[in-house]
Amino acid sequence: MMVDFVLNGRAVSCDAPANILLLDLLRSELGVLSVKRGCEQGECGACTVLLGGRPVNSCMILAARVEGRSVTTIEGLRDEPIMVALRKAFMEGGAVQCGFCTPGMLISAYALLRDNPSPTPHEAKTAIEGNICRCTGYALPLEAILKAAEMTPAE
Amino acid sequence: MRYDRILEELLNRDDFLVVGRSVVRTDALDKVLGRAKFTADYVPRDTAVVKVVRSPHPHALIEGINIEPALELPGVQTVLIAADVPGENQIGYALPDQPFLNDVKTRFVGDPVALVVAADKGSAVEGADAVRVKYSPLPSVLDTTDALRDGAPLVHEGGNVALTTKIRKGSIEEGFSEAEVVIEDLYDTPYQDHMYMEPEAAYAIPEGSGKVTVIGGMQSPFLVREKVAHILGWDLNQVRIIQALTGGAFGGKDDMGPLVCAKAALAAVKTGKPASLIFDREESVAYSNKRFPARIKYKSGADKEGRITAIDVDITLECGAFANRAPFWLWRQTAHAAGPYEVHNASVDGRAVYTNKVFGGSFRGFGDVALHFAAESQVDRLAGELGMDPVELRLRNILKPGSRTTCDQLLDHSVGIEECLTKVAEASRWSSQKRKRNGSRVTGFGVGCAYHGISTSRSTPDWSAASLILNQDGSMTYRTGICELGQGAPIGHAKIVAEIIGAPMESIRIEVPDTDSTPNAKPTHGSRGLMLGGTAAADAAIKLRERMVRVAADMLGCPEGEVDLRDGKASKKGEPGETIRFPELAEELYNRGVSPASYGFYASPKRYFDPETGLGVNYSVYTFAASVVEVEVDTETGVCEVVKVWPAMDVGKAIDPLVIEGQIHGAVSQGIGFTIMEHLKLKDGVVLTPGFKDYVVPSALDTPEYAPTIIVEEPYQHSAFGAKGVGEPAIISVVPAITNAIYDAVGVRLNMLPATAEMLHAAMRRGAR
Repeated sequence: MMVDFVLNGRAVSCDAPANILLLDLLRSELGVLSVKRGCEQGECGACTVLLGGRPVNSCMILAARVEGRSVTTIEGLRDEPIMVALRKAFMEGGAVQCGFCTPGMLISAYALLRDNPSPTPHEAKTAIEGNICRCTGYALPLEAILKAAEMTPAE
Repeated sequence: MRYDRILEELLNRDDFLVVGRSVVRTDALDKVLGRAKFTADYVPRDTAVVKVVRSPHPHALIEGINIEPALELPGVQTVLIAADVPGENQIGYALPDQPFLNDVKTRFVGDPVALVVAADKGSAVEGADAVRVKYSPLPSVLDTTDALRDGAPLVHEGGNVALTTKIRKGSIEEGFSEAEVVIEDLYDTPYQDHMYMEPEAAYAIPEGSGKVTVIGGMQSPFLVREKVAHILGWDLNQVRIIQALTGGAFGGKDDMGPLVCAKAALAAVKTGKPASLIFDREESVAYSNKRFPARIKYKSGADKEGRITAIDVDITLECGAFANRAPFWLWRQTAHAAGPYEVHNASVDGRAVYTNKVFGGSFRGFGDVALHFAAESQVDRLAGELGMDPVELRLRNILKPGSRTTCDQLLDHSVGIEECLTKVAEASRWSSQKRKRNGSRVTGFGVGCAYHGISTSRSTPDWSAASLILNQDGSMTYRTGICELGQGAPIGHAKIVAEIIGAPMESIRIEVPDTDSTPNAKPTHGSRGLMLGGTAAADAAIKLRERMVRVAADMLGCPEGEVDLRDGKASKKGEPGETIRFPELAEELYNRGVSPASYGFYASPKRYFDPETGLGVNYSVYTFAASVVEVEVDTETGVCEVVKVWPAMDVGKAIDPLVIEGQIHGAVSQGIGFTIMEHLKLKDGVVLTPGFKDYVVPSALDTPEYAPTIIVEEPYQHSAFGAKGVGEPAIISVVPAITNAIYDAVGVRLNMLPATAEMLHAAMRRGAR
């Protein structure tokens, strides 16, 4: 089955089994390794990507469903000012420990700040509620998200 | 010792370069860019997949294994059973009670029987389903009470008690006779799953004849090497283990690393092709090791002044199917039985009991979580009976320099618990905090203290090693077998090196642990990664520093004592004008034939212990922690929310305050999960909650407010800069702090964890104020 979609701003065309998950399409067929397999149950958020700009668990989406749509992983947000601010705040704020949940959490945080440049602490919590982190206890990542919001230049 | 002299000199510095300051972790950039490589990221697309065939019965004899139906399937390359194990088919950690692949009987639902090696995941799953194992089910024992009954079915031939422990100190009869109040109760703590974000994984590559490389998630590459070699019947130097970045471990991967890597290695060696074994989440939760459950019977008494006069403690540890770490876990509970208090009369007995359930194993806090839950509940209740403030009663008994532990170990220095407790009480305004009701919601406050022995117990020797190379361009290559699991211990080592050598952090590269080139640092467990591993790093750095100083002194034309190394440069103290940059200094070392490589080795001081009485110098030093917690309980629903946490810890010396804060928050979060959320449900030995949906761990919404961490520094004399381990103690003190706060709020004590909303609601209906 051919799947044509836009990955990180570039058109890709991929021949893949009909039942393949977006997670596997990205990791195995396209070599996008920042997308992590944490549960394959749609519960942990380690495989979060943007689909049409919205954060989704790529382990819950059949690859066929992204036909004609836009998929963004952390690689595709490299130079986005919001992501640059988030990276800096995460690194300087001790928000990174093992790093396995980090790409997925950053994607969720990016989507939050893109839509809501000055979130409340509770809005930050809600935005990453689906990104389980077993290392940090969330307090420093949440602080980092709010810090990144302050650092991001207003458009 | 020369080492001590140099360390003292460094400690007396008034301006530390990097130690004590928070720096950006050197691994953070790769992690935020999504470039950090975990085991699964190393596995090429067409690598063979290993799937474990597991027993569906809690206890059964194996009558026969027919692998033919699986072998007939397309895609299945081979199926391996016990008879295919070339070495010894035994992988028990402390006792030889855990067959690698079972061919006689299985002891828990999930016990491995065969390995299917197939071209892809789908074929591997089909192959595993097609293996026909004929079982003859046996009666099973599913809790420790049943296991201890006369005539109970035996999990192992030698009986259901794997081992026992004992301490006798003073006279509890005398102690209880002096008591004004005596409290006695039972405390039950459950399994806890680690729920590390990265499931267990290994990737094995055969390297021609007689060598195999395994890349995996683990906490001790050298333990993994030993177990893989043992299964293969090979020498240690035929096995190369590489620790990939590990996505959380918390103790779990210390046990699972060897089990998973050995399976992948056997598959690779038998097929002659690379093979990968990656657990899915269900397998991980249902079949991997868990925090050992425990039932603790605790009796303690206190006199009118609030002095604890005696404790009588009886611990029953549930091993599950294999002892695994039980000897060390149970001993830790036995030794720490009094909590961080001086008690002269103590009687402690422990037994580790087999059942036909998933096996217990290492987990942050290692036995001290259950023990302190009991001990700290008791202390609060003694205070309540005496009408005394719980902080005050604690302070009257607390360990101080000069105190003796339950094992009669003299604590002569590095005992900061009194300061932790005093400061955390001040910061939380403990004495003026009052229980408050707001509609159906009631707020309460609780306190918990903890101590946790670092490294090995019972005076067992402990040592660690590290290596450091000054490259010709002045950059440094650092190697340690201490693993990066998220906790950042190797980065702590690099900071120690940077401090001693005066090298910029970014000039020190930490290599991936690889048993073919990395010195054996021993395991990343027992809160020893920074303390032991970091001291080996300091030893390597001091040796190299001396050579660098010698050459620099000659180049600068000054005595060695006047050479200052900092910012990657050597200069004369007080004369920063003339400098030699490290690339130039390095080149000079090479040209003069002065070795630019340094091997660091550190062994903990020799200690004394009497195994008969359980008395002596047990752990080399202890980390101390205290927490105050504010909870809000909804009396209508039973829902409990941890609102705010005030943490304090005596860390010896803070190498990196922000890393310590992160460790404490993470531990507190796991403690909140353990106390009020995480509930591993089993029926007939089957885990019913094998995923995040049913086994609910804290999410961002469950994050409490944190007061700034109170860091107390009582340096340990025999570690780099006096640092002690910090990863574990925070989970220990927070658990009883939460339950004590729940009691303060609603007058209910839940002695059986987890105190979920349902349990709390039911308990409140039975009788709350």
